[in-house]
Amino acid sequence: MSGPVAVAARGWGWRYGTRRAWALRGLDLEIAPGERVLLLGPSGSGKSTLLAGLAGLLESGDDGTGDAEGRLLLDGVPARAARRAAVEAGRARTGLLLQDPVAQTVLARCGDDVAFGLENHAVPPAQIWPRVEAALRGVRFPYGLDHPTSRLSGGERQRLALAGVLALRPGLLLLDEPSAMLDEPGAAMLREQVGAVLAATGATCVLVEHRIGGWLDLVDRVIVLEPGGGVAADGPPAAVFATHGAALAARGVWVPGHGPRVPRTPRPAGPVLLEARGLAATRRSRARLGLPPVVTDADLDVRAGRALGVLGDNGTGKSTLALTLAGLERPAAGSLVASRPLLGDLTTPQPHRWRPRELVTRIGTVFQEPEHQFVAGTVTEELAVGPRRAGVGERETAARVEELLARLRLGALARANPFTLSGGEQRRLSVAAVLATRPGVLVLDEPTFGQDARTWAELVALLDQLVAQGSAVVAVTHDDGLVDALADDVLRLGPEPAATRAGAA
Amino acid sequence: MTATLDAPAADVDTGAFAARANPVAKLAVGLAVAIALILSLDVVTAGTALALELLALPWCGVGPRALWRRGRLLLLTAGAAGLGTALFGVTGPVAGAAVALRILAVALPGVVLVATTDATDLADALAQVARLPHRFVLAALAATRLLGVLADEWAVLGLARRARGLGDAGPLGRLRDHLGRVLALLVVAVRRATTLATAMEARGFGVGGRRTWARPSRLHGRDAVVVGYGLLVAVASTAAGVAAGTWHLVLT
Amino acid sequence: MSTTVPEAPARTPRLSAAHLVALAAGVVAGLVVWRVGLPDVPVWDTTLDALTVPVALTVGAGVGVVVIAATSHRAWRVVDMTVAAVVAVAGGLFLLGMNTAWTPITAPIGRVYPPLPALLNGVWILPGVLAGLVVRKPGAALFGETVAAAIEALTGGLWGFASLYYGVVEGLGVEVVLALMLYRRFGPVAAMLAGMGGGLALSALDLTFYVTDYPPGQKVAYVVLSVLSSAVIAGLGGWALARGLAASGALAPLASGRTAERV
Repeated sequence: MSGPVAVAARGWGWRYGTRRAWALRGLDLEIAPGERVLLLGPSGSGKSTLLAGLAGLLESGDDGTGDAEGRLLLDGVPARAARRAAVEAGRARTGLLLQDPVAQTVLARCGDDVAFGLENHAVPPAQIWPRVEAALRGVRFPYGLDHPTSRLSGGERQRLALAGVLALRPGLLLLDEPSAMLDEPGAAMLREQVGAVLAATGATCVLVEHRIGGWLDLVDRVIVLEPGGGVAADGPPAAVFATHGAALAARGVWVPGHGPRVPRTPRPAGPVLLEARGLAATRRSRARLGLPPVVTDADLDVRAGRALGVLGDNGTGKSTLALTLAGLERPAAGSLVASRPLLGDLTTPQPHRWRPRELVTRIGTVFQEPEHQFVAGTVTEELAVGPRRAGVGERETAARVEELLARLRLGALARANPFTLSGGEQRRLSVAAVLATRPGVLVLDEPTFGQDARTWAELVALLDQLVAQGSAVVAVTHDDGLVDALADDVLRLGPEPAATRAGAA
Repeated sequence: MTATLDAPAADVDTGAFAARANPVAKLAVGLAVAIALILSLDVVTAGTALALELLALPWCGVGPRALWRRGRLLLLTAGAAGLGTALFGVTGPVAGAAVALRILAVALPGVVLVATTDATDLADALAQVARLPHRFVLAALAATRLLGVLADEWAVLGLARRARGLGDAGPLGRLRDHLGRVLALLVVAVRRATTLATAMEARGFGVGGRRTWARPSRLHGRDAVVVGYGLLVAVASTAAGVAAGTWHLVLT
Repeated sequence: MSTTVPEAPARTPRLSAAHLVALAAGVVAGLVVWRVGLPDVPVWDTTLDALTVPVALTVGAGVGVVVIAATSHRAWRVVDMTVAAVVAVAGGLFLLGMNTAWTPITAPIGRVYPPLPALLNGVWILPGVLAGLVVRKPGAALFGETVAAAIEALTGGLWGFASLYYGVVEGLGVEVVLALMLYRRFGPVAAMLAGMGGGLALSALDLTFYVTDYPPGQKVAYVVLSVLSSAVIAGLGGWALARGLAASGALAPLASGRTAERV
């Protein structure tokens, strides 16, 4: 293997071809071989850009995606040239693990996926399979070589991707928010594997992560990047957090001991708006294949002025239950009926039979991926779609749009295309767009997923305010912090049907 | 829709003689038959080809049930096209039969190929045996893995649009809604493709021309037999048409 | 919001020597075929040399395109390939959906006037045009349409294997038009022309395979309707989708995303 790599940046900067601002500029730093560095900074400070640069993936010039300045060196060689030389020499200098588990699985069979990198490095075929098997053993992968990757969970996919990196024996491990999209058991498992790998190889490691709690044992140095360029702080974790912890937390970084606190507004419980009895939930695609419902026999009441947290590990059917409560999927069995206060002048009590324009003023749904629910070309249009469909007049619509733009700090982005916004901005917009039709019930699927601490606090405060004003909120999540801060009732989904009963928290 | 290209279904015998042939050999059979049948449109040529193909089915691992499951829609298309030609054409029922038989005869080798081959093996064969540019083949293969993901996203987008109040406008409004849904799917798909490119490049893909293959794809004696039979189908059916006097070069 | 501005001069591919070579090679190849001629072998009721002119034109155009593609300096990057392939996979899903909708829609209107279903033929060309407009590299349309057709065939499309041949030929139809515009024009008019190229290729195949026995008038109507449909559905539709994609910022790493103003 290639030994631990030394990293150096000398006045390095990068600007994407479609951007006016530099993602990073004037960066000077040295990382010694074998050091394990946690890279922090508010979103937009160029952390992922730096990792891509170190991996040798940024190409400037006519055929590239942006402009570079200064130098970025691995063992004294420019990163891009280092990558090319390493591939041609048949060994990898860097290994990169990305955030999205689905998009970084390359092939259909687990063994092939790990072998992919070895093939690209022209490793002799006779050595490929032994190295693949060793790498899979190294992450204690539970399946065989022929297991289809499409059946893996997110956490298993990340471990597979890690095995793909390990098989190449890189001297520099680059981790770009590898656990951001995993649930806690999956993230814990991944951290353990990475720790074992670092201990065994002694490789240099640069890690980017928002929720840093579990990772702190693995790193021995923290570097804080400044948006627009430069290093804001650099040193051992304890020292950096002692001096910069509060400032970092204020800018959205999840710093241990500086977690956001949102006070809960006292609120009286209102009438029942939705009543589920013996409810079974399934997705249309599952039902079509003849598979049984994922949630069965759920009894619960959704009340005005109450927040219900629905908890459970991946695969327990949380999202499916949310879609059913939201009137988007038809109940597979049992009943879900709306009461008079929510129904208004409607006569059909089953939400899934309402017309879309009737649904939006009664139940609003915030999807896990904001991009799934964007339907317009600008932020302003996006906010106006719902009220228009619901038959709200133009003046009233304009007034609501103005109010929401101000309330969710979207004013400066009014004319931007929703798809071009950052993750936090997209989340705020997706909530605002649903609030525009003033639904009595708000259903949210993993609303805090992948959000920085600042957006998290804003979101929780907003939801708290809505509940205090008499809305009903149902939040499906595996974020315990969200449940602690917001929920009045908790429904914990598990393999046992008896567990699907709402009880007071 | 939960279409995936992971592995051949359980109702197919992947150990059968022709099923184990190299995917490129199976492709060559399809190509040979198709070229022979493009040249002429007549009942005898198409019928002979189809009969010879059916004769070989027992060695392909695709039993009657598997064939029915995969081919019944095809049968419908062929029937509809044949009937249309018979009713509206200038020549009448015989031409209709020829059209239907030809559609079936051209499609059948493909049905066998699809039923007995998995996408990874096909890509390995295309890159190693047919010598297509491996970067394109592998990029396409990696993208097919997103097929199931995109199908799921499409369903979620439908729900999300209902949640936003869309979907009950008039026919024109519905068309617009649908276009918006297509665009949203494409945005998600292109973002995934960008990440996929980064993941592939980070593992050394796309640098230099040298690459080894963990799964070598080679031609064997069996493949010569399979291709030979494909050529036999092409030649024999054409000869039968010529002998019967029905063969007629369609391009003229 | 990003607005489209003229491309920077440095990035505008000029009419290079390579293009002139391609043009010359195409013309020469076509002329050679034409002058030498196909052998006048009697093929039953006609002779093979009746095909000389169409074959010469095809060979000439083909050689030209191949030379342009081979000499183009705009090499494909990995992201071009994955985006083209993923667009094609989405296109394949779309084609598969069209498969299920096809017979119920076209059967009734075909009863009114047999060539009328050709009005919908543009949908089959859409993936190729879209891939060509999004990726903007030589071969993108051919690659996109072929992969989309392969997905359609592999996931159980109505036409089985035949989809694959259709995909290749339709993709070539689109590709030839984009190549004739030297991969410089990707606006609505260019998109419509590219769609028409695909539509023409598709009708040529349909005339040999499915629409074999129509009266001549109906055959002409079939071709005209197919081409018009491809111009509108595939051409304008593909252009609108590509524009929407560019506005979303998703195309930033690609050539088509770089025409947008810096934000």
